[in-house]
Amino acid sequence: MAMINTEILVIGGGPAGLCAAAEAAEHGAKVLLVDDKDVLGGQLIKQTHRFFGSRQQYAGVRGIDIAKILIENAREFGVELTTGATATAIYGDGVVAAATDDGFLKVRPEKIIAATGAYENMLAFPNSDLPGVYGAGAVQTLMNVNGVAPGNRVLMIGAGNIGLIVAYQLLQAGIGVAAVIEITDRVGGYYVHANKIRRLGVPILLRHTVKYAWGGEGVEGAAIARVDERYRPIPGTERDLAVDTICLSVGLTPLTELLWNAGCGMKYIAQLGGHVAWHDENMRTSREDIYVAGDASGIEEASSAMIEGKVAGLNAAYALKRDIGLSKKNYEGCLEDYREQLCQLRRGPFGEKARRGKSALMGAPIPADRPIKSTPVPDEEFQKGARVVIECEQNIPCDPCEATCPHGAITVGEDMVNYPLLDAGKCNACGICVASCPGLALFVLNRDYSQTETEIILPYEFIPVPNKGDRVDACDREGNVVCRARVSRAVKSKKFDRTALVSLVVEDRYADVVRSFRISGIVPETGRIEKPDMSRVDEMDTIICVCEDVTRRRIEEAIDRDGAQSMDEIKRLLRCGMGPCQGKTCQRLIMQILAKKLNRNIEEFKPQTYRGPMKPVSLGLLAKADDEEEN
Amino acid sequence: MKKKTDVVIIGGGVIGTSIAYSLAKNGVTDVVLVERDTLSCGATGRCAGGIRQQWSEPSNVRLARASIEIFKNFREEMGRDIGLVEGGYLLCAHAEEEAERFRETVAMQRKVGADVRIVTPEEMRDIAPCLNTDGMILGAYCPDDCHADPFQVTQGYAENARRLGVDIELHTEVTEIRKKGKRVAAVVTNGGKIECNWVVNAAGGHSAEVGAMAGVDLPTKSYRHQIAVTEPIRRIQEPLIVDFYVNIYFCQTAHGSFMMGYGDEAEKPGHNVRGTWQFLEEISRRLTGLVPALKDISVVRQWAGLYNMSPDAQPILGRVSDEVENFICAVGFSGHGFMLAPITGVLMAELITYGETRTLPIDELSIKRFEGGVKSAEANVV
Amino acid sequence: MRRITEHPILTFEQGRKITFTFDGKTIEGREGDTIASALQAAGIRVYRESIEMHRPRGFFCAIGRCANCSMIVDGVPNTKVCVTRLREGVVVETQRGRGGVRRD
Ligand SMILES: Cc1cc2nc3c(=O)[nH]c(=O)nc-3n(C[C@H](O)[C@H](O)[C@H](O)COP(=O)(O)OP(=O)(O)OC[C@H]3O[C@@H](n4cnc5c(N)ncnc54)[C@H](O)[C@@H]3O)c2cc1C
Ligand SMILES: Cc1cc2nc3c(=O)[nH]c(=O)nc-3n(C[C@H](O)[C@H](O)[C@H](O)COP(=O)(O)OP(=O)(O)OC[C@H]3O[C@@H](n4cnc5c(N)ncnc54)[C@H](O)[C@@H]3O)c2cc1C
Ligand code: SF4
Ligand code: SF4
Ligand code: FES
Repeated sequence: MAMINTEILVIGGGPAGLCAAAEAAEHGAKVLLVDDKDVLGGQLIKQTHRFFGSRQQYAGVRGIDIAKILIENAREFGVELTTGATATAIYGDGVVAAATDDGFLKVRPEKIIAATGAYENMLAFPNSDLPGVYGAGAVQTLMNVNGVAPGNRVLMIGAGNIGLIVAYQLLQAGIGVAAVIEITDRVGGYYVHANKIRRLGVPILLRHTVKYAWGGEGVEGAAIARVDERYRPIPGTERDLAVDTICLSVGLTPLTELLWNAGCGMKYIAQLGGHVAWHDENMRTSREDIYVAGDASGIEEASSAMIEGKVAGLNAAYALKRDIGLSKKNYEGCLEDYREQLCQLRRGPFGEKARRGKSALMGAPIPADRPIKSTPVPDEEFQKGARVVIECEQNIPCDPCEATCPHGAITVGEDMVNYPLLDAGKCNACGICVASCPGLALFVLNRDYSQTETEIILPYEFIPVPNKGDRVDACDREGNVVCRARVSRAVKSKKFDRTALVSLVVEDRYADVVRSFRISGIVPETGRIEKPDMSRVDEMDTIICVCEDVTRRRIEEAIDRDGAQSMDEIKRLLRCGMGPCQGKTCQRLIMQILAKKLNRNIEEFKPQTYRGPMKPVSLGLLAKADDEEEN
Repeated sequence: MKKKTDVVIIGGGVIGTSIAYSLAKNGVTDVVLVERDTLSCGATGRCAGGIRQQWSEPSNVRLARASIEIFKNFREEMGRDIGLVEGGYLLCAHAEEEAERFRETVAMQRKVGADVRIVTPEEMRDIAPCLNTDGMILGAYCPDDCHADPFQVTQGYAENARRLGVDIELHTEVTEIRKKGKRVAAVVTNGGKIECNWVVNAAGGHSAEVGAMAGVDLPTKSYRHQIAVTEPIRRIQEPLIVDFYVNIYFCQTAHGSFMMGYGDEAEKPGHNVRGTWQFLEEISRRLTGLVPALKDISVVRQWAGLYNMSPDAQPILGRVSDEVENFICAVGFSGHGFMLAPITGVLMAELITYGETRTLPIDELSIKRFEGGVKSAEANVV
Repeated sequence: MRRITEHPILTFEQGRKITFTFDGKTIEGREGDTIASALQAAGIRVYRESIEMHRPRGFFCAIGRCANCSMIVDGVPNTKVCVTRLREGVVVETQRGRGGVRRD
């Protein structure tokens, strides 16, 4: 395929890339965007839940629908969108190569914006290479994009937002979740997400880890155990779970191989998820023709990815040689606006990582966090009448509740991370806000339903939706069935966008207890556990590099015996990372082993030297490439 | 790090580590090898690992033959598997002129003792069933040639040298060489100064720079040389194949990957080791032309390393100047230093231990040969 | 495994049936499937044997990055089936160890 000339090349079509491209094109630049998938949208196309963040970044809208909006936007501004094209290297002459199913493209851009997102961290334990151990992203792709169930019963590892959300999505797809386990002593994700699955009966086990899996042709079960304060399993606390799927959700690492390859200055920032390209406030890297945005520049959220994308797009466009008619005033105005939005998003306890990480990267002082209002709603006063109950007690960046209440009864305030506060006098219990809340944290209680009964309006995102008059099992916040309840109303309205409002009538004493219900059959029951003899399972046999079948033992030997002290040396000795995945699965694990064995910090280790092509490209395809210039 | 030692070796490639090991084997164990990065990070870790006797210069044939013996015994002597594939080397001739040259060199090589023979295109297809021999007149085949994994070889040398008492200092760069009269007195590194009796320049692509530190003007220049590798597949090819006409060499490693490269005439001297897309496309065209069955196999990586070229494409071994008596060079390997490393180690160690080489004479490879211009250059370089 | 036919949020078009073979057996997938999703829907989890230790491997990342799902597809080894669209009549085989090439 011929050489394509463009002004700006955006690599990656997730929220960051799409916004970067649209922004640059809007200001008059000629923009080409390549993405390796068939469908644009990056992570968004797998997200069935409503997004958090600010309304400017479409909070309250489901991820899948945000993707549609962003793609439409980019298209409208004239961005050329190429799917199924993987950028494989950034060469010394500035040419970016990209492989498609039937061609090897070369693009010569004036500016490059890398918005390649992130890749999932691997967790290795004996038999973690068995079929049935999947990354959370894979589970989402299979179930939400391909419409195929990944298994029947899942063990979720990791209670960050992704683990919690994917567990919820599994339940929505009718797949059982045996437990969510988390090695630290706290849920890392938003409590509202945790509450969603807890009240459906999924236990979240803190201070737990997986010891090993077993199975012949695929996972048949997993042993989990409690850990001590140094994260070592405590003997005697082992427990077997009959699961056919283990879903790993243990963090993301920025996907930066192209940036390493291009020679950008890199820095390890733990809060940003690993090595990232050094960049300034304009998202420009140490190479003046290369910009970054989104998860590739530090793991954050879709909302910040979008704004970072805009910042990158704006700056790349402004820096073009050609005068595209973007005035200094206009440029500065936009920039200030975006910076203010980013500041907003990074407030509060959940924004702290990004705040600290980005400051550490840029060597700037950490911006002061303004005090946050956090008065919880005094629910005790509310023993009569009808109104909404807000069970949202963390400073998360979110505010659709405020926006949707037609009566202005809920206030989050200018600061998105504030708690939502209710002006009880203004609330007429209409329930509109209940359906809009991404955290499913709003419930309407009508304590005056009858003399002895309370009616509770619950948000419900499962099928089938019960009908008026049905009887269901009402559950508490932990998912325990507490009583039977009658369905007094079930509303499915287009304006509630696939969230049904189901009203249950329960005895008054259950008013503050019941927060969900169960139509029996949603969570499959546990089967009997058949387990082979696993007494000889050895952690040292854990396969760390799956491409080349390299065990932990061999890696430790390479360090102890052969004196290897870096990723590159281990790679040369054992071929780890030389396989077709280019180290994406094993690298982080090996760096952890190195750090532990050599008693050093993980940031002291450089990843292996990245060499293109980042994705295997067939000789036949390369051979037929032609080098004509095209404009 | 030691402050004083007998021998300092500069460079942790296959040459430096081989010399270190041979010295220690000779009983010279007060040796410090300094490497500015990690072992094999230079040309060694980037090379194809080919080992052949089919050279146009008799001295190269002799050195290569001596090396092959050592490679074949490596596992026994060093206790490390070096991924040796004893699949031979097959050289392809397209034009009559080239065929004639092949006939002549094969005759010479046989005289030196190499088991080389001229093969017909049909025999070539027997040797390498996937090779497209269209347009080829004949081949030169040496079943004794082989290829091996350069990382394992270097590691084997290094660990055995260490075992015998050699110090290997990684991440230690030599920045200066101090002289006293006509002798080197010490090397200065980023980790401190080391006084010594001998300095060995095994700095590969940076040989001229290290030479300059000792006040010697070495006639070596470095050129980028690119290479690419595919994903592993089942074994379909035994020999390493060289086609000078198409300008390509390729082999299937013990692990199953195909490795291929070519020399680019247009390269300018320098230290640039970035790969290019032009190379990636061109090598793919050349390889799929010669082995069409590979068209669906994918390239997983490309990279480049430095050929440290001497004026006649043969190494420069031994003392290089009367002004610095104790400065020994093993440089300018011109794209075949991996295969010559075992014997080079032996010879350089002999020179230091006994004041002269015993296994083979190295006069032909002394820098003195360039006095009065280049007489006879190695032709079989890719 | 099974296909998700009903979902509270998503609608999955149950596309046209596509038949293909897996290790000689005829299997049915749907338009829009990748080879991996079609195999998964048919309850097949082992796609290859690893190259050194011959352990069963299935898919892991589902986005063409980990190479765990490498199979022989229409004779081409090392094909990542998680990102290969299902085609009518495609011949899919378990890859045992390293793949080979066709010599035609
Ligand atoms: C389960 C889950 C729930 C989440 N929930 C929320 C939420 O509620 N609110 C929120 O704000 N955020 C949420 N996020 C986070 C959000 O999805 C990400 O932060 C965001 O998608 C990052 O955007 P991005 O554009 O940087 O990367 P991505 O969305 O990952 O997009 C990167 C794109 O680049 C492509 N690409 C990569 N390399 C190449 C290459 N070499 N050539 C071509 N293309 C390439 C990728 O395939 C991908 O399409 C969630 C994430 C997950 C996984
Ligand atoms: C693409 C390619 C393919 C090749 N294929 C073959 C082949 O098939 N067969 C074959 O025989 N040969 C081949 N070669 C040639 C072979 O790789 C080299 O001749 C051989 O590796 C040279 O080894 P060396 O130890 O001299 O150099 P190097 O491996 O380059 O080692 C020199 C070392 O010195 C270090 N150094 C430099 N300066 C300093 C300093 N100031 N202080 C401290 N350390 C320093 C460097 O970091 C480096 O590690 C190939 C080369 C290339 C590039
Ligand atoms: S229930 Fe209705 S009135 Fe009350 S806060 Fe919610 S939207 Fe506003
Ligand atoms: S209550 Fe408001 S702030 Fe809390 S999760 Fe729901 S919409 Fe967001
Ligand atoms: S499952 Fe990872 S590449 Fe296919």
